[in-house]
Amino acid sequence: MIRAENVVKTFDDFTALDGLNIHVPEGAVYGLVGPNGAGKSTIIRNITGIYRPDSGSILVDGRSVYENPAVKAEIGYIPDDQYFFVQAGIRDMMRWYRSIYPSFDMDRYKKLGEVFRLDEKRPMRKLSKGMQKQAAFWLALCLRPKVLILDEPVDGLDPVMRRQVWSLVLGDVAENGTTVLVSSHNLRELEDVCDHVGIIHKGKTVLERSLSELQENVVKVQAVFPDGTELPEDLRILHKSVSGRLETLIIRGGLEEIRTRIEALEPVFYDLLPLTLEEIYIYEMGGEEYAAKDILL
Amino acid sequence: MIKLDYRDARPIYVQIKEGIKALLVSGALAPGERLPSVRELATQLTINPNTIARAYRELTNEGFLYSVPGRGSFAVPEEDTAKLKKQELFRSFDKAAKDLTDVGVGTDELIDRLRTKEGSK
Repeated sequence: MIRAENVVKTFDDFTALDGLNIHVPEGAVYGLVGPNGAGKSTIIRNITGIYRPDSGSILVDGRSVYENPAVKAEIGYIPDDQYFFVQAGIRDMMRWYRSIYPSFDMDRYKKLGEVFRLDEKRPMRKLSKGMQKQAAFWLALCLRPKVLILDEPVDGLDPVMRRQVWSLVLGDVAENGTTVLVSSHNLRELEDVCDHVGIIHKGKTVLERSLSELQENVVKVQAVFPDGTELPEDLRILHKSVSGRLETLIIRGGLEEIRTRIEALEPVFYDLLPLTLEEIYIYEMGGEEYAAKDILL
Repeated sequence: MIKLDYRDARPIYVQIKEGIKALLVSGALAPGERLPSVRELATQLTINPNTIARAYRELTNEGFLYSVPGRGSFAVPEEDTAKLKKQELFRSFDKAAKDLTDVGVGTDELIDRLRTKEGSK
């Protein structure tokens, strides 16, 4: 649904995107993660047609987005820094959205009013940050977009509202096959709502895969081996730490394959654990030399 | 109905599968009962619908569920659940037996325990 190939974007002499690739299949919920300054918001602004890439191609549903209102009409977008007209309340913004997006669903707007319970007349700029986010979801969901692009969407929302908006978004995914691209730092949350993940760093794609593939190809092993055990060299160990006799290994490979190989070493004790998305991220970024430093202050 | 443990590192679809199996084995999900639709479960648990569809698909392949196009997924009828229940319980039995053997409990001791259990009934 979204295909970004070799996208390069520079600002003066700063290269924000350096040949980035992103492929979001139709009906997928794609989590875009990466360190601060990796280029998440920049690629999103390229995909939504706000920026024009220096080179590379970006297609949404097979069509170019930049200066193409027909495609933009099918994209719902919640930016991280929202803009509202001076003095405009939610109702005013709704009228504006309705005049721009042909797919705007007025019945939905009324129904969602019961969910969000915001004062429609109060100027948006006087609402709290969290309330502004709620308003943005309210309006975006009324567009019934084919593609929903969310930049740090649940920042500032309380836990009940986070659940509420994800529940609404996922309902649309299940019902209408809406494609969602979401950037976030909350990996715990992405693990639930996403089925695809892309990790980017310094304007490049580090890794892009379906979440299940990702989780099924890395295993954490905790084991105590008999003294003098040499681990086979072809075991693809990403990370190793030792605490007393207990070794913790992060190994690339399928669960059953690794189980067989570890058992062959006749460990005194062993346990195989799947990795959470957060752990995968930390180990992958560690490989990219972006790791938290152990410093004492 | 299905609980997800956020501290559990197992992939979500595995947790959903295990959750549904547990409901079947305990009888909380009656044989032949209709399961919530993918959409219902996705919005209720705030979980990706494709993840839930995958759990349902695998449970169907493993014989716990059957699906009727357009109507949804159902728990298999009684005669089939009995067999699966036994399978599941034997699996936890095997695991407990292995854990006990690992801490040095001998086969004889396990057999003794089973015998006294039966005798005390």
